[in-house]
Amino acid sequence: MAKSLNRYFHFLENSGEAKPSGRLWYPAADIYKTPDGWLVKVELAGVSAEDIEIDIQGNQLYIAGCRKDKTCAAGGSVQQLEITYSRFEKSLEFPGSIEEAKLEHNFEDGLLMIFLKTG
Amino acid sequence: MAENTEEKKPAAETEPDVSVPGEPFELTILPLQNTTLFPQTVVPLAVGRRRSVSAVEFALSSEEKLIGCITVKTEDVEGNDAKPEDLHSVGTLVTIKRMMRAEDVMQLVVQGVDRFRVIEFTQSEPFLKAKVEILPELTVENQDEVEALKRNVRGLIQEALAMLPQVPPEIRMSVMSQEDPVQLSYFLGSVLDLGEENEQNMLEASTVDDLLTLAHASLAKEVEIMQIRTKIATEAQSEMDKAQRDYVLRQQMKAIQKELGEDDTGERAEAEQLRERLDQADLPEYVRKEAERELRRMEQLPQSAPDFHVIRTYLEYVLELPWKKSSPEKLDLEEARKILDEDHYGLEDVKERILEFLAVVKLRPDSKSPIILFVGPPGVGKTSLGRSIARALGREFERFSLGGMRDEAELRGHRRTYIGAMPGRIIQALRRVGVNNPVMMLDEIDKLGNDYRGDPASALLEILDPQQNNTFRDHYLDLPFDLSKVFFIATANQLAPIAMPLRDRMEIIGLAGYSDQEKLNIAKQYLIPRQVEEKGLSPEKLQITDEAVNVITSRYTREAGVRQLERTVGNIARKVAFKVAIGEEGKFVIGPDELREYLGGPRFYPEQARTDLAPGVATGMAWTEMGGQVLFIEATKLPGSSGLTLTGQLGDVMKESAMAARSYLWAHADELGIKVEDIKENGVHLHVPAGAIPKDGPSAGVTMTSALASLYTGRKVRSDTAMTGEITLSGLVFPVGGVKEKILAAHRAGIRRIIMPAKNEADVDEIPEDVRKDLEIVLANDISDVLDAALEPDSAAPDKKSEEEYAAHAGEGGNSDQGSDRLVAKEES
Repeated sequence: MAKSLNRYFHFLENSGEAKPSGRLWYPAADIYKTPDGWLVKVELAGVSAEDIEIDIQGNQLYIAGCRKDKTCAAGGSVQQLEITYSRFEKSLEFPGSIEEAKLEHNFEDGLLMIFLKTG
Repeated sequence: MAENTEEKKPAAETEPDVSVPGEPFELTILPLQNTTLFPQTVVPLAVGRRRSVSAVEFALSSEEKLIGCITVKTEDVEGNDAKPEDLHSVGTLVTIKRMMRAEDVMQLVVQGVDRFRVIEFTQSEPFLKAKVEILPELTVENQDEVEALKRNVRGLIQEALAMLPQVPPEIRMSVMSQEDPVQLSYFLGSVLDLGEENEQNMLEASTVDDLLTLAHASLAKEVEIMQIRTKIATEAQSEMDKAQRDYVLRQQMKAIQKELGEDDTGERAEAEQLRERLDQADLPEYVRKEAERELRRMEQLPQSAPDFHVIRTYLEYVLELPWKKSSPEKLDLEEARKILDEDHYGLEDVKERILEFLAVVKLRPDSKSPIILFVGPPGVGKTSLGRSIARALGREFERFSLGGMRDEAELRGHRRTYIGAMPGRIIQALRRVGVNNPVMMLDEIDKLGNDYRGDPASALLEILDPQQNNTFRDHYLDLPFDLSKVFFIATANQLAPIAMPLRDRMEIIGLAGYSDQEKLNIAKQYLIPRQVEEKGLSPEKLQITDEAVNVITSRYTREAGVRQLERTVGNIARKVAFKVAIGEEGKFVIGPDELREYLGGPRFYPEQARTDLAPGVATGMAWTEMGGQVLFIEATKLPGSSGLTLTGQLGDVMKESAMAARSYLWAHADELGIKVEDIKENGVHLHVPAGAIPKDGPSAGVTMTSALASLYTGRKVRSDTAMTGEITLSGLVFPVGGVKEKILAAHRAGIRRIIMPAKNEADVDEIPEDVRKDLEIVLANDISDVLDAALEPDSAAPDKKSEEEYAAHAGEGGNSDQGSDRLVAKEES
């Protein structure tokens, strides 16, 4: 058991993935406090805007979606794969309720920018 | 997604919404061997088979990189591509997160998404495809049970992690913080090596309860195995630690002892000395092994432990024993003969036999030493013969007495577990002499005792058997010692008390007593010179004449050997020494007349042959431990009574032979000229003096017959004749023992004619020539031979006269009671 555990942990370290995740993968996200609310920056390169779902519940911002590999559909085969495709989820918590906030978003250089205007 | 589906039709078209269970869709299937994937776990995979590679290629070309992994049932043959029926029906939908190509093999990292069930396989070439449905989330049947199981599992994980110090803390944290029981179970299923069947069962579990139960059971087993392994490892470790600790402490103690100036006397030093001696000693391999084992044990012990000294004594014993050391063999038969002659006068046949044994030893040095038993009366030189043999062989001599030994342990030692245990006499003697081939004398072997503690005679059986004494095992040593080179000589006064099996193992050499002539020679050649020297005199000062020696042997001593003779000579020498010491001058010549002055009156009046025997009296001969003796058998009629009265402390055998004698005479009365009425009307009293000494044995048969025949016939028994022999009722004369001693005693008593059984003729050769030439020996086959030789020719004297003579004779004997008894008898007749 010790051996298999070690192998497992060894693999985890090398993969750069911190831990066995929940459903599939978690994109990285930054949250900025702005004078009129919040700015949420999510690393979602290669995700089509139409594949993203954004939801707000109480003080939670919920981002889910699916990164689909559209490159290979054009023919040819994969030689190396490092980008995680398929579904992702991200849940972000805020100090107070954001249900009333006005939500805007756009893609900027592969980053999903979400503006939550509370003010 | 719609745009891309045109070319990659099936995958794209059926791109599933994985979150919705129950909707069938088509999925590429990757068969897995020896591993089961679980949802939410990340696992590396290597894919090399052609069919698998094409399945993965196909999955990679889809937008979401999804593939279904199903484990192959283990009974499947390796090397063949798995057929649909070889696969389990439940598998895991995974997404390929990473892929690298290395030559023909694809290295994948996949992450489980959901469980699915195969509805039907739709394609098997170029890769497997199946219509599948996603299985629903696991349900909880009993929340309490799930909670309890979860806590147990976490407890077990904690235990497991405690035994795995190399697991980094962040991973511990993440594992321990995993709250979801399903994820926790799947994680355990992927991490633990549970076997294909268990893992598949976990994957197929449809309730959290079942899943947790399976995970718990598997984990518990793993933890137990780990605990056992840890325990073994810990024990091995602590064992090593203890040895190391002992070593360090010992070194420290050594240093302390050195500081105290005690290092030379400490047990280490003692053990080291012993080791040094052990290394230098010439020991057989099996002894060395045992000794080293004991020494190692001793080194472990503190000096104050009682066992320390026990082991030290034991080791010293082992080291001092002559395991391989022998005296050099020096065997010159001429020299041996010279030594024997020098040390002992006479005993020609004994010396001859000893020399014969020695000759065999000389011709075959590796032959088993004989075991000799000297039997003879005290003081005839048995022990000193043993000494002479040792001298002749050039070997060490060691003697000890077995007399009164009752405990087998005295011979064979005590086991070392007993306090004060010692090796037996044999091993002690070997240590004393320091060689393994001494002449060892076991004195008084006929006086071995035995009781509930054991029977030393039985122990002797092993020691004295040349076939088995090469592995003699003393209880103390507990190591086999080879006694086969030891030359054992045993001595005994009597043969009868020696157990038959023991007697059987020994070459018996009988030493009878010495004749007066031999005693004279022994006195002149050995005893007088030795005593004179011992008392600080010189032959010029003290001279004892031959006549004086003869008087001493006959009147002052009564023995078969020469011990009393030597003591008596010693007494004379001491008294002379006293006179010389107080200043008396001149030479002391001791003749028969001086003896009374030095020794007092004569102590013995040996039974001398009576010059004239009345009818009814015959001279017999007896054997005693002190040699032989003459005895008289007296018979008298008791008119008016009947039967046979026997007195004189006779044993049963002797009584019976008296009855046989009387019966024989009665039965043959006519032939012998005896009146039957005479026997019928008169009882007989038969008496054997001296009445205080118990007597037994059959050898007085002929003497009794002669006495009774003489009584009934009135013919006297010849007074110069003594007789011995056993009789039978039919009148035969049987051989008896101790003939030589008896004849020597009879000769001393003045007898010149001997009647003895013809079957004892061989014994005549043993009689010294100087005695034999004085004697007329009559060999008798039956009683008529005896009576012919014993009785004087018929004097034709009337009964009356012989009765008177008898009475007169009895009166002469000085016993007034006896005399008056006989007078009464006379009046009555």
